[in-house]
Amino acid sequence: MAEDTIISKRLTSGRANGPVFIVLALVAISIVYPLYFVIITSARPNVDYLRDPFGLPGEWTFDNYLRLLESYGVGQAFLNSLYVAVVTIALVLILATLAGYALAKYPVPGAKYATAAFVSLMLIPGAVLIIPTYVMLARLGLVGNYWGLILVYVSSALPFAVFFLSLSFRGIPVEVIEAARIDGAGFFRTLWSIVMPMGSSGIATLAVLQFLGVWNELLWALILIPEQSMKLLTPTLASIGTRFLTDQPLVSAGLFITASVPLLLLIFASKYVMQGLQVGVSR
Amino acid sequence: MSIASLTSRVGAASAAPTGGDPSAKPRRPGALHKKDRVIGLLAVLPALLLVVTFSAYPIAFAFFISFTRTNGLTFEWRWFENYIAMATDPIVQQVFLNNLKFLIAIPLVIFIAVVVSILLFERVRGWKFFRVIFFLPNVLSVAVIGIMFRNAFGYYGGVNQALGLFGIEPVEFFTDGNLAIAIIILALVWSGFGYMSLLLFAGLTAINPAVFEAAAIDGAGWWKRLWYITLPNIRRVLGFVFIINVIYTFTGLFGFVFVMTAGGPGYDTTTIDYLVYLRAFSSSNLGSGAALAVMLFLFIGILTLLQNKVFKLQEED
Repeated sequence: MAEDTIISKRLTSGRANGPVFIVLALVAISIVYPLYFVIITSARPNVDYLRDPFGLPGEWTFDNYLRLLESYGVGQAFLNSLYVAVVTIALVLILATLAGYALAKYPVPGAKYATAAFVSLMLIPGAVLIIPTYVMLARLGLVGNYWGLILVYVSSALPFAVFFLSLSFRGIPVEVIEAARIDGAGFFRTLWSIVMPMGSSGIATLAVLQFLGVWNELLWALILIPEQSMKLLTPTLASIGTRFLTDQPLVSAGLFITASVPLLLLIFASKYVMQGLQVGVSR
Repeated sequence: MSIASLTSRVGAASAAPTGGDPSAKPRRPGALHKKDRVIGLLAVLPALLLVVTFSAYPIAFAFFISFTRTNGLTFEWRWFENYIAMATDPIVQQVFLNNLKFLIAIPLVIFIAVVVSILLFERVRGWKFFRVIFFLPNVLSVAVIGIMFRNAFGYYGGVNQALGLFGIEPVEFFTDGNLAIAIIILALVWSGFGYMSLLLFAGLTAINPAVFEAAAIDGAGWWKRLWYITLPNIRRVLGFVFIINVIYTFTGLFGFVFVMTAGGPGYDTTTIDYLVYLRAFSSSNLGSGAALAVMLFLFIGILTLLQNKVFKLQEED
């Protein structure tokens, strides 16, 4: 019996191995090649691109990047995006850690309703919210102000963040927290020295996911920050993409600048990115 | 000191669940409990208030706006005027039809995702690496993906350059509505199948391997096992994937449409969420956009309930 299963396993995988690998490799190439094309194109002059778009550049250059940074405000936009993303992540992590810990380990009155509110507001599409939110923020004088944008980002990230962290904090054994509390540690002490270290992997996962979300967001960044010098990276990229239809290398450089940060995260934090995915599944 | 605290710790841990030790406990847990409730509430409150202010309240506000004629400053109550106008608006009808066209992406995404997930499940050499590669488009902004595809299919783009190698004249992909929709669908499939295949892969790993072994011993071939075991066992994940894709098709296309076609030519590639944006920032009456948004909200709500039902079925089985 045991021998049979081993043999059958070996037979099936042995038979399917080659073709399966080839198909998967082809699919992988269909994903990687366009990105490779963008990167190569971004590193050559337009004339060189038009002469032979699929070959390697006859002349390598950083001019496209320099032009974007010097003349089209991409450097500033990059920093703006970074600022908004970092502030948003910090606020989301603080608020979601507090709420997540309380919901996981404290007898919060009406916890059921709070959780229901968070869960039901998790998937509200941006299109539904743009008109009322814009009117509301305009009245508060928060359009054209990063705080308006950050508040929108934080509040749209919180439902998932709270849900996610309360799930991962629930896995921390009650005995450990109880023991610390008997020793006199209060809410913040247990949170800081037990819950956060033990839940650090969940917190890191959340930070990576939320960073990607904010960095890549387009709709809110577009409508809430009309001021040119304050623009974030994605709207800046969108306007460059529309203005320079005939200059593929320049646009490609913009694409790579915008994609570089998420790609770096995927390379260096793929563990956390993939972990976040698992939660998406269980949801 | 340390021994005392240790014993009290052990005592508390073992006593807490049963409510035990009558000498010290009965009063203190009550007081602690009350304090804990307050602390818990205070910890949840900031997050809850923010979410209510910036998510729940705007939804209610959207309902209100949809019954008014407004420029955002003054509101004139007009009952169902916006809804009636919407029902007879040819643009809305066309845009809804466009959204139905975009649904073609779903069977394509699901088909590719099923194939890829089943192939990944063979766990050939390097499958973990492939998994990360397939996930790659998911970390990119729709702005990046959209512009990449617009570039590739643009007049000077890679596709036309490649056609040129075969002596074919450049094609203006974005001047024809249906062709433009096809390109956007291609972008959707390219960027979407990876995540879906990983969802399906998780569904596959949940199948008891003994089932496969039993079938293999009974002489069922690879295709038979696929058809009678693998696919039936992931049908609930398939249902889930289907519904989240429908929701995405009706709410998540703004970015693609904005950077690839700006809704044109005419309204040929405008989707509902993009039309809400257009009505919000280029029309004098926000009410009509809000009415559209409310319809979208109700539609998504129904789909989500449906999805929850599917999810419940999954738990019952």
